[in-house]
Formats: sequence, structure tokens, C-alpha cells
Amino acid sequence: MHADQDIKTQDHHEELTFKKYFSNIWVAVRSLIKGLKITSKYIYSEPVVSIEYPEVREVLPENSRSRLFNDAENCISCLQCATSCPVDCIYISANRRDKEAPKIKTKDGTPIRLDLTQYTIDTALCCYCGLCTTVCPTQCLTHTTDYEYATYTLGQMKIDYLDPEIRRWRDRIVK
Amino acid sequence: MDNQIIINEDIESPTDPEFERLKTELLTINMGPQHPATHGVLRVEIQTDSEIVVKATPHLGYLHRCFEKHAESVDYRGVIPFVDRMDYLAAMNMELGYSIAVEKMLGTEVPIRAEYIRIICSELQRIASHLMYFGTYAIDLGAFTPFLYAFQEREFILRIFEEISGARLLYNYFWIGGVWNDMTSDQLKRISGFVDRMEGELDKYHNLVGLNKIFIERTANVGVIDEETAYSYGATGPVLRGSGIDWDLRKKRPYSIYDKFDFDVIVGEGTQGKLGDCWDRYYVRMMEMKESIKIIRQALEGIEEGPVMGKVPKIIKLPKGEIYLRTECPRGELGYHIISDGGKTPYRLKVKSSCFTHVSMLPDLAPGQMIADFVATIGSIDIVLGEVDR
Repeated sequence: MHADQDIKTQDHHEELTFKKYFSNIWVAVRSLIKGLKITSKYIYSEPVVSIEYPEVREVLPENSRSRLFNDAENCISCLQCATSCPVDCIYISANRRDKEAPKIKTKDGTPIRLDLTQYTIDTALCCYCGLCTTVCPTQCLTHTTDYEYATYTLGQMKIDYLDPEIRRWRDRIVK
Repeated sequence: MDNQIIINEDIESPTDPEFERLKTELLTINMGPQHPATHGVLRVEIQTDSEIVVKATPHLGYLHRCFEKHAESVDYRGVIPFVDRMDYLAAMNMELGYSIAVEKMLGTEVPIRAEYIRIICSELQRIASHLMYFGTYAIDLGAFTPFLYAFQEREFILRIFEEISGARLLYNYFWIGGVWNDMTSDQLKRISGFVDRMEGELDKYHNLVGLNKIFIERTANVGVIDEETAYSYGATGPVLRGSGIDWDLRKKRPYSIYDKFDFDVIVGEGTQGKLGDCWDRYYVRMMEMKESIKIIRQALEGIEEGPVMGKVPKIIKLPKGEIYLRTECPRGELGYHIISDGGKTPYRLKVKSSCFTHVSMLPDLAPGQMIADFVATIGSIDIVLGEVDR
């Protein structure tokens, strides 16, 4: 449309008079001084705000939503977290518990009627919205403040919470 | 070496008739999708005649996440995390519109404390979003320092949000029926201290950047959107107000409890150049932050004790029907059109985004501009591509 037409340049400069020329210089010098004043104030009187990351680590606020942790011993396999998840990244499977098996309860006294056989969260899919932790009836699924868990492969982001390795460092990350 | 340089001695000067016969053509340049000046993944295909832009065509869809279709398969609570991801720089305002729309259909009363917290959060978010604009716009024009100043103040707001909601950017904090967590009196006190400090900082920023000679030269009379163009394209927010039109939904069609607050609507005046140029849009945003501070101060005074979550059924099922609700976000009006068939999930969820309409203005603004001025124009309409593509 425009290509074959003669495009007028948007010329927006007024005519430069002698007086204007010098007033422009004055305004430019004034704004330069103003900027330098602020700069010198920052050099001498403002405190340093940067955090040198690997040496100094910021402590996140208590209810910060980072990596999910499920305390599998207290999980009653109610599937509420999996249904509330908007991206479907929680995979749970459970079997009915034998009637002869000893009866076990969670920390807050809810009887466990199902044996958890799989509890996996794909943290690569997880959107950290926190909806799953709010519906959990036994408070076993929580967000931790652990934010350093980068992995080398995508597969490693899938965390199996029944793995004994994870249970071992459970105490480190639980709030 | 001399014999390698071929000098066409037939053509001596541009006035030579030989010169007229030379073939000339426009140069097509792709600006973006990975370009610092396009604020996200916007690709603008521009045709240039030397340094003058002749034609600009924005290409969208690089950040398309199928939000509207996906919302049809998740329940009403689960939509909120996706709503956050539209305009990730003003997620609180995105949530506010959605939750008010669902509450209106559901008939839920929101507790008064929750309403106040919502106002405080969304105004803080407006400040954070405009600070982001201020910083990145200065980068577009070649100044790096203002970006650091802006981010230092923005960091405080993000910290407060992280403490109350748990996340820095995508909060999922405004729930249907109220807000997730209560604010402590300590946090309210810190916000009060912050807005006091912020007022002085804003003056400093405006003196440092807005009244700087170079900044004025780069923005005044550039990218002029006159009143008629702004109306005809359906521009909203600071872009519309920058063109001198007094229209703010918070004032004209108050939602939530905005009718309780006393604040002014900032309108561009064309102080440095023509009305509706980049400088006016900058000015509107800077002064709007001051108005936000006014609102936050009044909200901090008026906040009452009480619950922060109203009575909402465990499984939300909206009655059959539809609603269209729009709110004033930092970048303009955001409208939600929710159609419900009585089920657990929305039948259709359509979002009207202001950034999309603003991007559509670019082909009209570009012709005749220098490339560097075009960058200034893109920056001044302040688009977030997450909201454009959804």
C-alpha cells in the first residue's frame, strides 16, 4: 500500500533561531548536571543493594512457593491435588490396603485406607500455582523454600516421592 | 590494490541521468522476534527506504499458549494461574478482573478487608508495571541507569507480593471470593513507608529522565496518536489518556470499591510537543503512579479488620448465562467475557486485551518515521506480548 506511494517523512523539527540554539545548549547542560548530581549521590551515600549470589544466598519468605514436597507417609491418596492441578503434573496410583494388614494413621489421625504405589510430580510441568497444597486434607503436600534444583536432563525433573533417596533429605527442605 | 577498486566513471553525480536509471528497491528488515526493543517476542516486518520506515507489519503468535481454549478444560479456580500468565508484569490486575467477573456471576460477597487488600495490591502492581515501562523505555532510548533505579523500587513491591502470596511474578493471590492470605500489620506499615519514599523517588526519576533534553528530543513529536486515531482504533489506558481523552474506568465505571477513593485522571497535555506524542504517554504513566500512591494511602487508612475470604462453594459451578466485565489495567482495559453452561468449567472464556489493539496501531504510526523513532513508538505504547497472543 505504502510502498508505491511517496512517503512523507515525519519532520518535526522547528526552525532553529539564534536564541533557540543557545537555550538548547543551556537546557542540555542543565539536565546533564542534574543527572550527575544524582549519580554522585548514589556513589557516596546510597548503600549497596546487589547480592553476590553464590556467596550470599537470599532467604526466601516463609510461604514462598518453590519446589513441592510430599510427605508420603502422611498421604492418604485422596487424589485431590491431582484433580485440582491445572496442568495435570501430579501422577498418583494407589491400591486398596489389605484388610489383614496393620492399621496405620497419618500424623493428624486420618486412617490410611490406600497403599500409595506411585507419587510423582513432574516439576518441569508444574506451574507453582499452589492450588494442590491448599486442597490437601492432611497437609502432607507443601511448597518448600528450596529453589536450587536445576538438573541436567528433563527426565530428572520428574521427582518420585516414594524414592528412599528423597525421603532421606526430607528434613532438609521441609518448612 | 588500485586496480581492484572499480569506479564507475559514467556516474558522476546524482543529477546525472544515468543515476536515474539505477534500480532502487525498499529493504525489508525483520525486527524481532528476539529483539530487545520489541519487549517480548513481537516480530515487526519493516520496509525501509534508507532509514525511513515505509511500511510496518507486526506478526503475532510467538507467545500463543491457547489460553482461551485451555480455560474450557480447567475449573474456575484453575483458570487463575493461566490468567496470571497473560500480562505477567501486571498479574494482580489480570486476576482482579477475572475474579470480579466470576464473583458477579456466582453472587458472592467479598469481605471488605479483602476488597481493600485487592485495591492495595492492584495499585502497587500498577506502580510496579509502570516502573518496568519507565526502565525499559529508557533502555530503548539508550539510557541504562534509570532501569536500575526502577528495578530497585520494583524489587520492594515484588518482595511484599512474595511474602503475601508466595510468588514474585505469577501470584494466584486473588481467589474467587477474596484473597488467599491476609496481610499483616507489619506489611501494611512497610507499604506505607514505601509509598512515602516512592513519591520523592518519582520526582527524582521525572527530573532525571522526563525533563532531560535528550529524552525530550527523542520522544516529543514522535509517534503522535491524535484523538481521532485513538478513538477509531479503540485504544485504552495510558495510550488513550496520552491523546488527551479523559477516560478511566476506575472513575467512569467504578468496579470493586474504587468509588470510595479520591484521585485524578491524568490526561496528556502536549507540554513538550504535539498532543498524543510519546512524551505525553510517558508523562501520563509517571503521573499515574502518583495517583496510585494517593489511592494506596487512602486504602491504608480505610482498611478494616475482618475475614479475607467469603463463602464460596467447594466446587464452583456458575449459573447458566454470560458476563462481560472490564477493568482498568496498567496497559489499558481488559475485558473478560465468560459464558457458562452451568458446568464446572467455562463454556467459553474470551479475553479482550488492550495490548492487541495497541499493536494494531503500529502500521498506521510507522510510515515516515526513522527506525530509531519507531523503536521509541513501540516502547511508548508499552505492550506485553503475553497479553497480545494469550
